[in-house]
Amino acid sequence: MDKPASTAAGSVRSRLHTLITEQPVLILGGVLLLLILATGVIEPHYLSLNGVRSTLLQAAPLGILAGAQTILMLAGGIDLSVTMIATGSAYVTANQSPQGAVIAIVLGLLVGLIVGAINGTGVAVFRVNPLIMTLAMSGILLGLFTAWAQTILQGSTQVHAFVKILGAGSFLNNQVPFSVVVWTLVAIGISWILKRTGWGRLLFAVGDNEIAIRLAGVKVWQVRITAYMVAGVLGSIAGILLAGRTGAVDLQLANAFLLPSVAAAVIGGTSIFGGVGGYTGTIIGTLILSVLNSLLTFLNVGQDIQQVVYGSIILILAWSYAGLTGKSA
Amino acid sequence: MTVATSRQGLKIWIRELGRNGWILGIWLLLIMLVVWYGSLIPSFGNFQITSISKNSLPLVYLAIGQAIIVIAGGIDLSLGSLLILANALAARHMDEQGLGMVLGIGLALILGLGFLNALVGWIIHVSGVPDIVVTLATSYIWSGLALWILPSPGGGTAPEFRWLFTGSPSGIGGTYVMPLSMMLIPAAMVFFMSRRSHLGLSMYAIGSDRATSRLAGVNIRKAKIASYAIGGGMAALAGLATIAITGTGDPRFSVGAMATLNSIAAVVLGGVALAGGSGSVPGVVPAGVILIMLNPILSAMGINPNNVQIIQGVMIAGVMMIGTHGTEAGQNLMKRLRFKVTHHYG
Repeated sequence: MDKPASTAAGSVRSRLHTLITEQPVLILGGVLLLLILATGVIEPHYLSLNGVRSTLLQAAPLGILAGAQTILMLAGGIDLSVTMIATGSAYVTANQSPQGAVIAIVLGLLVGLIVGAINGTGVAVFRVNPLIMTLAMSGILLGLFTAWAQTILQGSTQVHAFVKILGAGSFLNNQVPFSVVVWTLVAIGISWILKRTGWGRLLFAVGDNEIAIRLAGVKVWQVRITAYMVAGVLGSIAGILLAGRTGAVDLQLANAFLLPSVAAAVIGGTSIFGGVGGYTGTIIGTLILSVLNSLLTFLNVGQDIQQVVYGSIILILAWSYAGLTGKSA
Repeated sequence: MTVATSRQGLKIWIRELGRNGWILGIWLLLIMLVVWYGSLIPSFGNFQITSISKNSLPLVYLAIGQAIIVIAGGIDLSLGSLLILANALAARHMDEQGLGMVLGIGLALILGLGFLNALVGWIIHVSGVPDIVVTLATSYIWSGLALWILPSPGGGTAPEFRWLFTGSPSGIGGTYVMPLSMMLIPAAMVFFMSRRSHLGLSMYAIGSDRATSRLAGVNIRKAKIASYAIGGGMAALAGLATIAITGTGDPRFSVGAMATLNSIAAVVLGGVALAGGSGSVPGVVPAGVILIMLNPILSAMGINPNNVQIIQGVMIAGVMMIGTHGTEAGQNLMKRLRFKVTHHYG
């Protein structure tokens, strides 16, 4: 039997440990707060509505792309073609802009749906490793859009005014960007799907123990294909927002978001092996990366130092996360 | 007696064929592509062999390094960044130096980057963070360092050093003896290490079943760290080959990212399962060459070079789709054959 005092101290510590283990989001929130404060110290103007606005504006496309990775990673997959899907959707949306905003956006979203379906078929039916399938798809898309940019998809600068407003505009006294509204809607949608729908629970189950869930009578291939289609559509949404923000589409439009989209989900505590995680963590992971970007911009350091710091932070966060929760991130 | 040995021999042959079917297939594919390329262009000879083997060097090195890491149950997304780091360091320090100094720098880079990546392997082992996450992070760190060392493309190396990898002091033309031997010697070294040494076999063991290997007394930390060290060393070699081929350094992040993705593609095409524990270097070398060879083949066919990306992607996805089912079917066939041999003559 333990002495009462040590039990009390032990229980406080163990309760704290349980809290950290079960609510890793709290730690991430703390890290985010620290980063925001550090940025505020360097650039006082940052701690204003305007600063929040610009950070969220930066974060919105990344957050949506990271949402796609979260959904796939939960089911034990990954999509390295998601940024090429985004670029492709941006091209199609720009190309179809003369048809009106609705048609342009719908066709843009269709790109994600189709490519996602192909990715999903490759992974689920033909059992190709997701890393390889989406990597190959990324190469195929890059080739296609390189060839088509000058032919059937030309007109990369004629982005529809509505799409431009969606990507870069704001309302309510120019304080709330439309893209953040889109992101919020997407976030509510993903969280609801993951927590409240049977399909969302299946994603976790497939990622956790595919064999058990198959023996339980679930058609795993259907879950996987639909997951890739949803991820593709999310990629398209991000691409359309980016097209609106830049006003001109090029092949490098979304490239820089690929590794951060995986990193944001990983920092947020979603396991790359599937079955563990959620979108709340990914949102905070996205915000951490965005604030970090602002911080590095304000520090006025070059691209080189930025990359080193960026990589180090991802490594430190993932390491401490694994250490604190006692499970791999 | 003779019947028994011949039957034994037949069984061994069938078993080996079943095990190495993929490698055999990938070599056949390479030979077919070479023959096809030869029929496409008016004269196929020294120049073409030199240029293909020379241009494949960086990818082949990187793929060998990736293969060893994947065999040991990991994956390294930072190999491309290590390549540009080596490339940048070499371009910065080899410029205007004598051959002795240049060779010293080259050797130091191979050892140094091997050590650096060994450190990464150690972090993965100690932290319990998945390989893919740690190396994703380090890919930023290494490419940032490369950019810091060489802010813009430039620098240079000694002509003799370029001859070492390309067979010509100017990097143009030359003899295929040098690039081919530079490709095969390191490949053979890594191959024999992985198949004939205790350390190499322990890499296969931990990649195939970590828990069982630990219980069997395999030093899993040593095997893991060693696999990453070899990956780092091969990435450095790839960076050195790159400067030998191009004559300058190029620190762009996208170059590294592309190289990493290609290395993974080559590894998978070469028959190394991403799950770890299977595959070997002799399959990866032709796979790397094939990926590079598509370029000249398609341009000889008059196809827009932009479409190389598409065809590469379709080929990788297609080979994997057929391969996953094909190898299963092939292994079943081999099993049945072996059964027949055992029981018919028995």
